[in-house]
Amino acid sequence: MANIASQRIKREFKEVIRSEEVARCSIRVELLDDNYSELKGEIAGPPDTPYEGGKFQLEIKVPETYPFNPPKVKFLTKVWHPNISSVTGAICLDILKDQWAAAMTLRTVLLSLQALMASPEPDDPQDAVVARQYKEFPEIFVSTAEHWTSTYAGGPRKKEEYSKMIEKLMGIGCDMDQALVALSSCNWDMNKAIEQIFG
Amino acid sequence: MAELLNIILNIVRNALRMLSLGRPAIDNSLNINIKCSTGNTLSVGLDPEWDIGEVKNIIAPKLGANPKEVKIIFAGKELEDSIVIKDCDLGEQSTLHAVKLSKSFVKPSSGQLSSVIAEAISDEDEIAVLQETIDRAGSQFYVHCPVCNDLRLGKLRVRCSKCKSGAITVDTDPKSWSDVLKSNKISGHCEQDDCPDGAFAWAEFYFKCTEHISQGENDEAVPLYLLRNNFKNIPCLACTEIKHVVFVFPCKEAHVTCLDCFRTFAVLRLRERQFVLDDAIGYTIACPAGCPDSFIDECHHFKLLTNEQYELYQRFATEECVLHAGGVLCPQPGCGEGIIVDSSCDKVACSNGCGYVFCRKCLQGYHLGECNSLDNASLSDDIHHITDPARAAQARWDEATNVAIRVTTKPCPRCRTATERSGGCMHMICTRCSFHWCWVCQIEWSRDCMGTHWFG
Repeated sequence: MANIASQRIKREFKEVIRSEEVARCSIRVELLDDNYSELKGEIAGPPDTPYEGGKFQLEIKVPETYPFNPPKVKFLTKVWHPNISSVTGAICLDILKDQWAAAMTLRTVLLSLQALMASPEPDDPQDAVVARQYKEFPEIFVSTAEHWTSTYAGGPRKKEEYSKMIEKLMGIGCDMDQALVALSSCNWDMNKAIEQIFG
Repeated sequence: MAELLNIILNIVRNALRMLSLGRPAIDNSLNINIKCSTGNTLSVGLDPEWDIGEVKNIIAPKLGANPKEVKIIFAGKELEDSIVIKDCDLGEQSTLHAVKLSKSFVKPSSGQLSSVIAEAISDEDEIAVLQETIDRAGSQFYVHCPVCNDLRLGKLRVRCSKCKSGAITVDTDPKSWSDVLKSNKISGHCEQDDCPDGAFAWAEFYFKCTEHISQGENDEAVPLYLLRNNFKNIPCLACTEIKHVVFVFPCKEAHVTCLDCFRTFAVLRLRERQFVLDDAIGYTIACPAGCPDSFIDECHHFKLLTNEQYELYQRFATEECVLHAGGVLCPQPGCGEGIIVDSSCDKVACSNGCGYVFCRKCLQGYHLGECNSLDNASLSDDIHHITDPARAAQARWDEATNVAIRVTTKPCPRCRTATERSGGCMHMICTRCSFHWCWVCQIEWSRDCMGTHWFG
């Protein structure tokens, strides 16, 4: 790994460790290898959002050309959000693409992701299905996102009704993830979900 | 005995020196050109220990003047009689200017002259103060020297903007880079007899390399004014280390990187073809912190890269210019000649380069009618001799390459540059023409592509 990149990450790592956000448990980073090229990040779901109470794991890969090119970041924790792929965890955030600048850091990236969770941009979607639901059925979107948060990120709000529907689908041979995805993307219409899975 | 011999030797040396006044034989003499306002140039060897008064004694007879009537000018300053040569920052083969004060000048301005001298003294003090701050802060000029072809320390020199003569005294010292780089900022007094503008002159600043022996007055170096000594101890934006010499970007915040990080950054953007062709400045990059209006406007700063990288920079800049002007680049491997084309005709011949004749639209061999898929062009090449097809197929390096290219790449819908997708999303940005396109649809990137198959 290039010297500039690892040196920068070393410093940024310390910056995050010492930051007040860490003190408030709102962000965290962890090294995965000795040469600072792979890290694991964690952000807390922002308050007053469907993600509140959840902890979201991130994969952070630092390219050789860092800090002149952005780190590659994706969600390891499944999340229901218009700008985050519900399948791959890929993120649509301008600063992780062409708006990246060498003066940004791991800390600013993590804080920007938290901000993105708090204010989605459905007109620039990563997940078209989620974005449509966000716009057309905002209430379903909120309860679905809460349900995902409690299922995958340890969030507190789980809808009994949704759990029962998932169990029903699992009873006819689906696995849990498959059932949750199908029901979520069909706005919790059981028949449509069955059709999507088996049709 | 040995002492006696030394004394005799010294006497002989001194006698010799007295005899050959004007051309003294000095061991560590400094060869200096003295340019007279009359136009002729004298080459003299000077002892660095001498003062200017002694220089005047040598020069005066050649100008046909009294030593008191001679003014010695160097780097925009009249040199006082008491100044010692070695303190003047004169290099080997430097040029001093000798001016004979005409009577008409001496008389009416005799009052002024003393003030000029007084001014010269105060200037001298100022220089001393400046020199001290320079020494303390380590502020120096960095230049690209075309003779050494490398980064060097430079020295600031001045000449008359009209007659280009160095026989000019400046009214004030330049205080900032804009004083030095922009014209008509600092006024002065041109002493050249035949200067078309007369005595009043605008000073024109330029730089010389401190490392090699001056090759005359036209031996200039380009100032790399974004390079500064880091006396403020500002850490590099990228690696966060505090280095001695830094690159200060021309943005409002004046972001700083070290030279290594500047090189890394520039080479990276160059290889990604992310330099921008600016109409006024040329092919350049902006501050890595993404600041607006921060283009590097002196392209010689890219001379900080290696020669190969700088050649690549020049090639890309030329290609970008050709494409910008609506031209095409010859698609023949190893050619790449830039051709300005007539947009009404699709047949393009690389007449100054390899001679290849191709279609302007699909960049394949020239054909009649509509452009077809990639294969047609190579198949249409006539095969004149019969070979064992199997053996020939194995031996065709080019064909294997072509197949590999065809299988692993897709052409940019606009410029047809074969593009490989090594990972990431389906949103492609052509590194050659900056076109945004979709890997799946092979058309311009759209919201629909983003919504339906951004990541496959």
